[in-house]
Amino acid sequence: MALLEIDDIHVFYDNIQALKGISLDVEANRIVTLVGGNGAGKSTTLRAISGLLHPRQGAIRYDGRPLAGLGAHDIAAMGLVHVPEGRRIFGRLTVDENLLMGAFTRRDRKAIAEDKERMMTLFPRLRERLRQVAGTLSGGEQQMVATARAMMARPRLLLMDEPSMGLAPMVVEQVFETIQAINAQGVTILLVEQNALMALTIADQGYVLESGEIVLSGPGRDLIDDERVRQAYLG
Amino acid sequence: MIRTAIVRGLLFGAVGLHLAVVGVLLMLHQRWIIIDTISLGQAVLVLLAIGAGVMAAPTNAPEAPPARLLFGLIAGAAASLPLAALMVAMDLVRLQAVFIALSHDLFEMLSFDLGDFLGVLALIGGGAVGGLAGAVLQHTPPGIRRAVIAGAAAVVVAGVFQELIQLMLQFEGLIGDIRDFFYTWEGLSPQGAAVVFAITAIVSQVRSAASRRNQAALTDQQRQRQRMIRALLCLAGLAVLPALAGSYIGQVLMLVGLFILMGMCLNLDVGLAGLLDLGFVAFFAVGAYATALLTADNPHALLHLSYWAAMPIAVLLSICMGVIFGIPVLGVRGDYLAVATMGLGEIVRVIVLSDFASPLLGGAQGLLQIPKPALGGFTLGSPVSLFYLTLVASGVAAFVAWRLENSRLGRAWMALRDDEDVAQALGINLIRSKLMAYGLGAAFAGLAGSIFAVMLGSVYPSSFQLLISINVLALIIVGGMGSLPGVALGSIALIGLPELLREFGEYRYLFYGAVLIIMMRLRPEGLWPSEARRRELHGSDESLALDAGSDLLPAQRT
Ligand SMILES: Nc1ncnc2c1ncn2[C@@H]1O[C@H](COP(=O)(O)OP(=O)(O)OP(=O)(O)O)[C@@H](O)[C@H]1O
Ligand SMILES: [Mg+2]
Repeated sequence: MALLEIDDIHVFYDNIQALKGISLDVEANRIVTLVGGNGAGKSTTLRAISGLLHPRQGAIRYDGRPLAGLGAHDIAAMGLVHVPEGRRIFGRLTVDENLLMGAFTRRDRKAIAEDKERMMTLFPRLRERLRQVAGTLSGGEQQMVATARAMMARPRLLLMDEPSMGLAPMVVEQVFETIQAINAQGVTILLVEQNALMALTIADQGYVLESGEIVLSGPGRDLIDDERVRQAYLG
Repeated sequence: MIRTAIVRGLLFGAVGLHLAVVGVLLMLHQRWIIIDTISLGQAVLVLLAIGAGVMAAPTNAPEAPPARLLFGLIAGAAASLPLAALMVAMDLVRLQAVFIALSHDLFEMLSFDLGDFLGVLALIGGGAVGGLAGAVLQHTPPGIRRAVIAGAAAVVVAGVFQELIQLMLQFEGLIGDIRDFFYTWEGLSPQGAAVVFAITAIVSQVRSAASRRNQAALTDQQRQRQRMIRALLCLAGLAVLPALAGSYIGQVLMLVGLFILMGMCLNLDVGLAGLLDLGFVAFFAVGAYATALLTADNPHALLHLSYWAAMPIAVLLSICMGVIFGIPVLGVRGDYLAVATMGLGEIVRVIVLSDFASPLLGGAQGLLQIPKPALGGFTLGSPVSLFYLTLVASGVAAFVAWRLENSRLGRAWMALRDDEDVAQALGINLIRSKLMAYGLGAAFAGLAGSIFAVMLGSVYPSSFQLLISINVLALIIVGGMGSLPGVALGSIALIGLPELLREFGEYRYLFYGAVLIIMMRLRPEGLWPSEARRRELHGSDESLALDAGSDLLPAQRT
């Protein structure tokens, strides 16, 4: 049984249908990626999973449990954590406070302090900037805060929405290395990316989304070699 | 450059003209700063000229310093031109038929009783001197400048509040002699003013020198402790003041205390949780009416409980109202929330006035004869004792707010304030947190309302206007959002001062508006900002700090 199972979900924004029946599985300890053009519905899928949106039809099961009817905070408490698109850090709090917010559902202070230390090793840049107001960080640093903050929740499944957006090519590589490092620690990852080549390279499994529907799926390597994917996303 | 000097001067002059036409100037002229020497109105004119001089002679201007002083002089003269023109016009036409404030008294004030021609010359000459003084001030070293400003401010305070200060110094002997040196029966004496100026200037000089030496060596923790000590000292001052002062000050302070309490709770909502709640007065009304219904000595009363039994019930009812009001506006954010809650606030007042509720709540006649609370055998009847009641309640509110700020709930509020979606995705329960914020805010508002009811001894629907919510909001903005001492300061500045300067009553909201605009320009973080807020607005962004004017006299770029 997969850690996350999505079964034919339909999601609407008022009357606009953004997802037209999507099904996908995320196996535990894997990196799964969702690629597609602008407005394909990738962010919408993640929002539906984390409970910020509710599908009008279909089911989402996490660890065998249906998520229907649960609030976003309940889902987060189950270890399913969403890093939304666009570096949405708490701009008026310090980096340190942002990290602590990530551990909001946890009460084990000692372990939280240890995890913070681990994040500092993962992102040495953040250590110097712990007391800085997060809103004044550079774009890349903000992305680090967003990722580190999500990790502070000790997630089992991490939903990452375009973690490489707007970053310098060098930094993009670091981001992907970090994702693999996080995955190596036993965290399952569902990754949404514009940078399809990089994402498919590190992914065990990939899905291609177009206008709210999944048009292709398969192991990451296979998708890179697929003619249609090459034409549409890899240029 | 001369052109900018003239334009700036005329701008300041336009402000003076406006003040004259609406009648503020003459009103201010009625109050002496130094007896028979300079009035508050004249001081405003001087201040305008100085301001024009400061603005026209920036320290970074390309011209040599002597030329800059000339610009200051020109700007000062230009600042008095509009008023001089007004004088000429008043001489030629009877303007009072149009503008009631343009009376003969105003003419005499502007002309220094020197007649038409000499008067105009004196006004312009005085303006030029003021402008020159401003330019000189701009070019003196900051230390001396600060001393002069502090000294002048002290003289203004000592002069304007002479009545109150004298009241507190009603002793025979040494204190009486000192008092007689500084004050005549009617106001600050010239020699007293000179001494006040000198002492304040010297003290400020010494202090700033000492603090500059210390500041560098201080750790963050020590600095924090210093802030704590300063806040405690202010609080202690606030606590002993009414005991020294007469009952009039007690009355004013009682009102100030009440608004401090209300400011504390709105601070929770707005400062911490970012919920711009303008319906706040509704819970204030609920608390007041509940107290009235439970304790009053009139036919509408349901019970005749003691105040101490009624207050918790009133608070509980307010909490319920807060939560009930909170539910429909849960999904409403930002500006929309302000509008929605504003409507809710009005609803309560309208309900009380409605035919349906009038038989129960007394309608427009209100509920009368609410007994004063008694503590043991002692009745809290005097304004001063009620002030202490508000102080204790504010203390409780402050403690709760302070504990909350570093709690899980406080952090959840701050996170929701910055980004609701992400906060939820991190496990924060939006509904519960928001309802807690509304409930807690309402609890303290209800407490304030309950104290308000016994303060007045009666409650009327007309006491619960939207204006109360706006006043409270204004005072926490002026004081410093999210800062507890700031709330006290804001309440003293916006509620206390206008009460003390009674003649301002008519123009109260004119000054409110002006103060708010000036604050937003010069010091958007408030008079006594919280650490976090200072960080937000100034933070590491130097240019922003400059823009917001960290100095009293910002150097203007031309
Ligand atoms: N709040 C909203 N209200 C209405 N429509 C929305 C809303 N959010 C997204 N949509 C629409 O839903 C569709 C899918 O949007 P989504 O954000 O999921 O795209 P995406 O695949 O993440 O695109 P991108 O790669 O550009 O981020 C788009 O057509 C978008 O316009
Ligand atoms: Mg997207």
